[in-house]
Amino acid sequence: MEVIYAFCVGLLAACGFFLVLRGRTFIVVMGLTLLSYAVNLFLFASGRLTLNGAAVLGQSAQYSDPLPQALVLTAIVIGFAMTAFLVILAMRSRADQGNDHVDGQIPVRPVSPSLLDKRNG
Amino acid sequence: MLNIAITIAAVLMCLSLMLNLWRLFKGPSRPDRILALDTMYINSIALIILFGIFSRTTLYFEAALLIAMLGFVSTAAMCKYILRGDLIE
Amino acid sequence: MNLLWVVLLPLIGTLVPLFTERFGRNICAFCVALLPAWSLILVLMYAPDIFNGQAIRQTIEWIPAIGLEVSFRLDGLSLLFLLLILGIGLLVILYARYYLSLKDSMSRFYVYLMLFMAAMVGIVTSNNLIQLWMFWELTSISSFLLISFWSHKSEARKGARMALTVTGAGGLALLAGLLLIGRIVGSYDLDTVLASSDIIHAHAAYPVALILVLLGAFTKSAQFPFHFWLPHAMAAPTPVSAYLHSATMVKAGIFLMARFYPVLAGTDLWFIIVSLTGLTTLLLGAYIALFKHDLKGLLAYSTISHLGLITLLLGLNSPLAAVAAIFHIINHATFKASLFMAAGIIDHESGSRDMRQLNGLWQYMPYTATLAIVAALAMAGVPLLNGFLSKEMFFAETLNQSVLGSLSWTIPLLAVIGAAFSVAYSLRFIHDVFFNGQPVDLPKTPQEPPRYVRIPVEILVALCLLVGIFPAFVVGDLLHIASFAVLDHTVPVHNLAIWHGLNLPLLMSFMAMVGGVILYYNRRHLFEFQSHFDTTDAKHIFERTIQSLVKAAESITNTLENGSLQRYVFTLLLCTLVMGGLPLIELTQNSGTRASIPLDGVTIVCALLMIFSAVATVIWHRRRFLALIFLSVVGLIVSLTFAKFSAPDLALTQLSVEIVTIILLLLALFFLPQSSLKESSNRRLSVDLLVAGLIGCVIGTLCYAMLTTPLNTMSDFFIANSKTGGGGTNVVNVILVDFRGFDTLGEIIVLGIAALGIFKLIANMRIAIPARDDKGRAWSNDPHPMMLEVVSQSLLPLALLVSAYIFLRGHNMPGGGFIAGLITSVAIIQQYIAHGVQWIKPRVTIDYQWIIASGILIATATGLGSWLFGQAFLSTWFDYFSLPWIGKFELASAMLFDLGVYLTVVGAVMLILANLGKLTTSERLDIQENN
Repeated sequence: MEVIYAFCVGLLAACGFFLVLRGRTFIVVMGLTLLSYAVNLFLFASGRLTLNGAAVLGQSAQYSDPLPQALVLTAIVIGFAMTAFLVILAMRSRADQGNDHVDGQIPVRPVSPSLLDKRNG
Repeated sequence: MLNIAITIAAVLMCLSLMLNLWRLFKGPSRPDRILALDTMYINSIALIILFGIFSRTTLYFEAALLIAMLGFVSTAAMCKYILRGDLIE
Repeated sequence: MNLLWVVLLPLIGTLVPLFTERFGRNICAFCVALLPAWSLILVLMYAPDIFNGQAIRQTIEWIPAIGLEVSFRLDGLSLLFLLLILGIGLLVILYARYYLSLKDSMSRFYVYLMLFMAAMVGIVTSNNLIQLWMFWELTSISSFLLISFWSHKSEARKGARMALTVTGAGGLALLAGLLLIGRIVGSYDLDTVLASSDIIHAHAAYPVALILVLLGAFTKSAQFPFHFWLPHAMAAPTPVSAYLHSATMVKAGIFLMARFYPVLAGTDLWFIIVSLTGLTTLLLGAYIALFKHDLKGLLAYSTISHLGLITLLLGLNSPLAAVAAIFHIINHATFKASLFMAAGIIDHESGSRDMRQLNGLWQYMPYTATLAIVAALAMAGVPLLNGFLSKEMFFAETLNQSVLGSLSWTIPLLAVIGAAFSVAYSLRFIHDVFFNGQPVDLPKTPQEPPRYVRIPVEILVALCLLVGIFPAFVVGDLLHIASFAVLDHTVPVHNLAIWHGLNLPLLMSFMAMVGGVILYYNRRHLFEFQSHFDTTDAKHIFERTIQSLVKAAESITNTLENGSLQRYVFTLLLCTLVMGGLPLIELTQNSGTRASIPLDGVTIVCALLMIFSAVATVIWHRRRFLALIFLSVVGLIVSLTFAKFSAPDLALTQLSVEIVTIILLLLALFFLPQSSLKESSNRRLSVDLLVAGLIGCVIGTLCYAMLTTPLNTMSDFFIANSKTGGGGTNVVNVILVDFRGFDTLGEIIVLGIAALGIFKLIANMRIAIPARDDKGRAWSNDPHPMMLEVVSQSLLPLALLVSAYIFLRGHNMPGGGFIAGLITSVAIIQQYIAHGVQWIKPRVTIDYQWIIASGILIATATGLGSWLFGQAFLSTWFDYFSLPWIGKFELASAMLFDLGVYLTVVGAVMLILANLGKLTTSERLDIQENN
């Protein structure tokens, strides 16, 4: 079980990093989401894996470690706030600069104006 | 006796999850994939309930409740997206 | 009386010019002078104690816990410098009143001047190394402001920048040196440091500390090779030159050497560095001064030369030489300040400082000329003037050393040569300016200056004469107590007298006089000789160095920072890989002794789902919607994983965050391109895959090693005390709202801040809206399908009920404020999706910012409430009650705290998602900017 858990964490991290290395905002955000899954699972793993041991008194014979769970719980929520911040930043960057590149390149092909409705632009 | 029933049910659920994944990969259209995801939510509800019965605990039933409720929201949001593009208008 | 006031009064004086400028220049100058005068009186009231051999100390505790204090001391050396700083400072205030033209901002000048004065006073009275350094830096800054006072002139700006760079760099070295000394001694208290001479000398770091401190002193006192900034600082108004660049600031370096003389001097290293630097500076300055056509340039190099002389004396490691050094500090300050002032008068009255134009001024301004001539003769070291006395002591001391072994005789010889040049340039100053024919093309006809501007010069010249004629009577005591402080309470016998009989020093003085006259007489040949040399201006070298430094820094920055996130992340990953991966290679095994859990089929299937979905997200990352669906599968499996491994709270949180994240990403995706072209080359892709894969391997290995290592946790405490101490059986929730409640408070504040940041980013965003989907099809015409509306509306009460249930049971069963808040937000968002903003608007009238604020307020108030009961912040309370129909139930303050968490989460999530959704509607968020 531990092997497969560790493998999944590693794989999620690898996928996340690969996506973060792309040059467009949305893909980077998706990569960060994958990465935060990996990090949360990793942190959770620091309490080791326990079956049938929820840290609720009187419900199990042996309790899992509650401390990493508490840490990961807040990490998940904060992670959402940070993801949201990045997403909005990405949108703002697209709104102000007209492209969603984060690779320092000028966009190869501008978006065709016929696809855009300028009712708010 | 119960354990045998749970095992058989779990095997079937796993099978259907794999089939969901297959549909997710195959598509071909977006609604197909959204439906596959929705079914996946439903199958995981079953999986959690089975796990709870198997472990003789009710602690995980709220998770099933939440999937049932929020899975719907997720599916509805995705459908709205392919229909209108704009979720909130 | 209070020593602190000696420093504070000039500091407060910086404000005086601002208030008094409107009353006219005379009143302004008068008021400015009041506070330093008061400070000077305070010092004089202390003087009797000092003359009795005491040192006065005052310490004000600042942060006692870490040993920080404001500490002052007043001893003989400080007294001497305070008299110079405050006394000459007052004269300069008077002088500047008449020097500054009506165009110059007088108040600005006085503010800078007072700032500088306060900083200097601070340096000489500090009894703490760090405090001393603070004031030291303050002199660099105020000197920068003063040099650049005429900031419209390019040379003033450049000179100021150069002075700041050189002295600032020296200041950094000094800081390092002082910190090192503090570490060696174990205290930054000057008294302690001065008493620890043996410790410092014996310490291995002594040479480093010495060199660092000397770097600070040499840069400040314009010693070779850092002397070049001083001539360029002459772009400052003349009162500044008279005050900073002759009498006080350049003496700060000398002061530093004198202050640390008891602990740093006395070694061969000190002798070699200090005396040789001083000798070089002495000769170089004297030589160059002769060739300067600019009056102030001549005086600047002469100052460099005299500073070199003092440094040389301090470097000789002999007590008598130190006494001579202190004596020369006094003498140089008096005659050089008066000479600068005279030069300023000449400049002011004739419009030129060029000695090729200035000739024969005697007939136009005989009175000023007399004063300047007397001061210049003091500079040359003519008998009956103060310069003669200290120079004789200097000659005597150069004879008394034997430090260069059999070559020691060269030092007196070189000293005589230096003195001869000094006589020569003094003669040039007198002869070229006041005699030597008629003026050439002066902008205006010279005349005597106003009465009052001459007073400071008169006082200083009178001092030169008085000290020169009655040395023991005028400065004997002062010199004694200053030496007393420098030499650690043992003053050698010295005799301040004009006539010591016919001896070698007198002969040397005579030789220097004759040599100087000969040199000046043959100056034409010297000038011709000198003109063969290529005179590169230090300014150009300096500017070029600075420019190339800036260029180098720019190119490094541009290379590292090219605006590509990919490159930064890639670099970061490579470093992580090297630092995190390499140590793993050295490990022989990656698993611990903890027994592993057997595999089961369901887990394998779930793992497969996760693996396939994660890989699919990567493969189809350019088809963004598809990738998003796969991403949500990964999220679902992650929450199942949490459920499987006994973390129901996490499973619930992950599920609800998952949904919120998907809605967020869908909202954003609408405004972003739906798909992107392939942009990375195959090579690039494979390199990225390789690095990401390797990192994944490292993380996986670490994770596996961690999972198989037996657990050693502090959580047993939480489990044992959860019910008895926190009143709840769900340990995770009790940790969040009770044991680690302060952390959670911080976290919800972060959440609120992030939401507000997003709020600001969304405000006034103008973004193009796609009119069709990515396949070019038109959007559906029905924004709010009826089925969706009906189902969603019936979902709302159910969801709120679930949310309340999850919230209430959170303390004892999986649940709590975070999860309940997320569920509530999802339920409301669903209404936004189904019904649209217009439907919500009349029904939800409260602003989400207020919900965040009230949540944080409730949580904080709960924490503060425990103060009312005399408990620590965020202490919790709980008890059990019973009501008919309901039965026994528990009330806990932690529940109130959890309510705060709940409200903050709801507010933050809604603020983000609802405002993002409103972007396309008429309810969009627009903030009127004031600017």
